[in-house]
Amino acid sequence: MPDNFRLEEMGEMAGADIPAGPLYTLNCTVNGRALSLEVPPGRRLLSILREDLELTGTKRSCEIGRCGACMVLVDGRPVNACLTMAYQCGGAEITTIEGLGEAGLHPVQRAFLEEGGFQCGYCTPGMVISVVGLLRENPSPAQEDIEEALSGNICRCTGYGGIMRAVNKAIESGVSP
Amino acid sequence: MGALQDEPLFSPALRQPRSLREAWELKSACAEQAVYVSGGTLLRTQWEAGTAAVPQVLIDLRNIAGMEDVTRDDDYLTIGSLVTLTACRRSGALASAGPAAAEAARQIAAPAVRNLATLGGNIASGYGDILPALLVHDAELAVYDGNLLRVQPVEAWLERRWSGAIPPAELVAGVRLPLDQGSGGSRLAVFRKVGRREAFTASLVTIAVTADWDAAARTLRRVRLAAGGGSGRPQRLAAAEALLEGAELSRSLLGAVYEAVEHGFASYDDPFAGEQYKKKTAGNLIVSELWQTLELKARS
Repeated sequence: MPDNFRLEEMGEMAGADIPAGPLYTLNCTVNGRALSLEVPPGRRLLSILREDLELTGTKRSCEIGRCGACMVLVDGRPVNACLTMAYQCGGAEITTIEGLGEAGLHPVQRAFLEEGGFQCGYCTPGMVISVVGLLRENPSPAQEDIEEALSGNICRCTGYGGIMRAVNKAIESGVSP
Repeated sequence: MGALQDEPLFSPALRQPRSLREAWELKSACAEQAVYVSGGTLLRTQWEAGTAAVPQVLIDLRNIAGMEDVTRDDDYLTIGSLVTLTACRRSGALASAGPAAAEAARQIAAPAVRNLATLGGNIASGYGDILPALLVHDAELAVYDGNLLRVQPVEAWLERRWSGAIPPAELVAGVRLPLDQGSGGSRLAVFRKVGRREAFTASLVTIAVTADWDAAARTLRRVRLAAGGGSGRPQRLAAAEALLEGAELSRSLLGAVYEAVEHGFASYDDPFAGEQYKKKTAGNLIVSELWQTLELKARS
């Protein structure tokens, strides 16, 4: 386990005060578990997840917020982990693809499986996160809502047909937040 | 593209001021070594692309009270700089007071980026896609100069921004849009964007239009036209506005308006599109919107 973080019992969060020295104390929850990390304040959430916490389901790709492969939920809303810096996550609840599937496949994941919403699978964690974020806010989105919600997720395999089927199946199944 | 390494190349210090004054003092003290940041989405891509230097200090504005507020009084809708583009896109108040701006917010980036990105950041860039829309809504910016919050029209601020006249520590604290007093006719408010693909793409050309449409007289009044796009300067299109103001809208007038836009819009060549293409695109977008007004609203 990396030596720059420690798991803590869920409790009162520290404030986002300036740490002494160059490191920032990031207190947040990741997939429901409270943790405290000493990190450079500008360290990307993507690096924290993949390298520090070894949660590699969040994918690294364009690294400029264009492709959506690194999508995670921060306080329930999709954000690009490659654009998000550590200090912006103070006190946040972060959910990665691993956090969705801890109690078995999430209904959106199951819909992607059943409808062939992936081929190589590299974009899939980000796609699933974006769909979960959409359905949490709008359980019955119109087609244009779906297209807008997924406009920041790029897939180079499927042509999006299977993905749209998967989203519609998830909607029909009544995915609960 | 090679990604920035998080450490040691990217390890700026963090400062989190609690007031505009404190932020201004930090920036004044650090000068070019520090940047104001909130969402940081544009800055992050500039650092990755090498088009902006990685700063030594990040001045995080998010703890400054009042900059995330949206308020409305009898005359203005005021939106703090830290309001996210998602909040702008969903704001009923903005959709009412500044429909072209609300539509611009919908077309900037993608939802996940808009969840981080702020109105102030889009403005402070000097070329954000929200700016043409703010121009046609006669919006004003509240800028903090170290002593006072001063209100100035977006157009005047852009002039200062693009002439290099803005002191480094000056801070855009918010935007206010005048609440439309109405003219008895229907108000036209449009924002259009053309990029290299349909969705989630940087703009090549943006246009915005507001005007009062008098269907009986087939005239437009209080006409505001603006264009921008890419990293070009957002600008009002005064000559085209003058042609339209109070004149009967007709096919021949639209031809003249197209030529005025094409001639008046100053843009730039980039690796994907030449300036002439952008001029033509701006002209076509504006005239097509006016054409729809002529053809559709005239019938209604």
